[in-house]
Amino acid sequence: MSVGVADNRLKVAVVGCGGIANEHLPYLASSPLAHLVGVCDTSRATAMFAQTRFGADGFFLDAQEMLQSTQPDVVHVLTPPQSHGALVSMSLKAGAHVICEKPMTASASETAELLALAKTCGKWLIESRNLLFNDNVIKINGLVEDGTLGEIREVDLLLSLDLNAGPFGDLNLEGPGVQLPGGAVQDFLPHLAYLFLHFAGAATSAGRVCGILENLSGNARVGFDHLDALVLSDNCRGRLRISSDLKPDMFRLIVRGSKGIAESDFYNPYLRVQLSEDSGKWAPFEQVRAGYRLARSGFGNLRDKVLQHGTYHGMPRMLDAIYKALASGGSSPIAASDIEATAALVDALVALRSTR
Amino acid sequence: MRVLVTGASGFLGKAVVRAAAAAGHRVVALVRPTADVSNLGWPDNVEVIKGDLRQMGAWRDHLDVDLVIHLAAAPSGDIATQFAGTVQATENLLDSLPLRSLRRFIHISSFSVYDYSIRPKHGIIDEATALESQPQARDAYTITKMLQESLVIDRCDDTGLECVIIRPGAIYGPGKDWDCGTALSFKSFDLLFGPLGAFRLTYVDNCADAIVRAIDADVGKARVFNIVDDECPSLWKYHNACRRAGARAGFVIPVPWLLIAALGRMVRLVNRLAFRNRAKLPELLEYRRQQARWRPLRYSNALARNVLGWTPSVKLAEGVARTVVKKADSAG
Repeated sequence: MSVGVADNRLKVAVVGCGGIANEHLPYLASSPLAHLVGVCDTSRATAMFAQTRFGADGFFLDAQEMLQSTQPDVVHVLTPPQSHGALVSMSLKAGAHVICEKPMTASASETAELLALAKTCGKWLIESRNLLFNDNVIKINGLVEDGTLGEIREVDLLLSLDLNAGPFGDLNLEGPGVQLPGGAVQDFLPHLAYLFLHFAGAATSAGRVCGILENLSGNARVGFDHLDALVLSDNCRGRLRISSDLKPDMFRLIVRGSKGIAESDFYNPYLRVQLSEDSGKWAPFEQVRAGYRLARSGFGNLRDKVLQHGTYHGMPRMLDAIYKALASGGSSPIAASDIEATAALVDALVALRSTR
Repeated sequence: MRVLVTGASGFLGKAVVRAAAAAGHRVVALVRPTADVSNLGWPDNVEVIKGDLRQMGAWRDHLDVDLVIHLAAAPSGDIATQFAGTVQATENLLDSLPLRSLRRFIHISSFSVYDYSIRPKHGIIDEATALESQPQARDAYTITKMLQESLVIDRCDDTGLECVIIRPGAIYGPGKDWDCGTALSFKSFDLLFGPLGAFRLTYVDNCADAIVRAIDADVGKARVFNIVDDECPSLWKYHNACRRAGARAGFVIPVPWLLIAALGRMVRLVNRLAFRNRAKLPELLEYRRQQARWRPLRYSNALARNVLGWTPSVKLAEGVARTVVKKADSAG
């Protein structure tokens, strides 16, 4: 039985104990702001394992029963996307704030409906955007905010990851890998969309979109495995690309401004900053400096690998920001308008679907 | 007897299907949809069903069997992948089977469930050896195999179904040679860790024979059987046997267990003091995992021999020869 600060902790319940729950639950199990009152999964073995591993008060096979039994303050919805709508709605109506994994819904209109419901219920509804809280994104934020990069003109997000190799494309399983109109690409798309909008400063406008969303592999389960799109917002443009046929795996973020360029990668992080003064005769010196920093990043990545500071290291930071805001009565670190803008851009990108 | 074999197209599964069919059983072989069974040479009394236990599918229409041999598992991948392929798959199977009408459930577990951090009585690992008390300190395979075994036992106990747990050692045979016992290779040098310790080997056909004997053996009160061959050679001897049989084995650099253990303990101390045990290291450096793999111990198969009436018929030299020939054929 918890004591002391326990009375002030937020009661938290988790629906869905699969892969991504392993990124949420360690924070919830260790945070002084959260008290894990229940975990729920349709698989009894999965729910029991999560309860034991992360010290939840109880496990459940039915979400409604968990909500009634535990009366949580916050619910994390971590199930496959097609089940999000009903679970988010049920949780909000039960009086809980909701943190939902991306993509929250299959379309911007469904997202808007859920956000409207949250507003009616007087609760927060937050779609996860953990990459915004990664080390190098925070550093690039700093470079943008202090004007080092100048006006941001281009934001490129280039993801190379074989979507056919994972569960989405596993031909041993029946049915679609993910039930979204944009297939497996749409499962990753919110990451690219919110990062683009964040750095482009286009929080409320998806701008113009052109490009192609297609299935290059012929694997029907994956739905779509290739996106190559150009996005033009008010003052910023960018290329958003998801490729399944390129190696090595990488997830590159390049932010180009009127005074400089910042580049990083989410899988093997490094940070390269090239400024306008690093041109001409100074360019070789910048290259030497960048080489040194790249080597340091290599050692840092080795350390991070050993210490399990991986691609999801922004997740506990994001959750901590949310829980601190909830506990202090502050405002949400992820605004509803940002979530709607992300959904609108994802909608526009999914509309590029090709039947080829 | 009509016998369902899950994981039938796997390394051990193929041998179990062959052995069960040869013993006169009608075998229902459950294989994954992408498995190629055209060249397996299974006899006519083998009915092949395609399906994946991770999903409830049409495989559930073929469960009118007398007995189940459950081999399906996901031995690699991250914890989520192994959990889905090992634990959830087993849960789906148990939820779908008519457990109360089955004669027996034979579950294929693993030696990985034992606790190697405590020296067992007389240095011998047998069925009474304690189970791993800290599976999270080992690896995803140990965690999921322990959960799987416990799930099977609980469900069988709940329904009164007789359950036999088979824990094979390191299964070798054509297609799997454990790199001749090598821990690390550098060009033409093979590092053997704890080279004098016994390698808990069982030849794939020997292991399959033990499993098939468990179908109708009178096991009495025994429930768990360790399966290792009579001859558990040292890693060095196994390496030599592979080389003599024609394997491309390198020059041996023996690394004594005491040195490996000292390194593991030092790394463990540094991890504790400097990283508060957060560091996740390769098997070569993690003391608890080193113990599970290289600690010099002995292994007993007495219970399997006495109760199942099992005698491993393929001896080490023959098993290694078959393994190496197959590898050479594949390479050639």
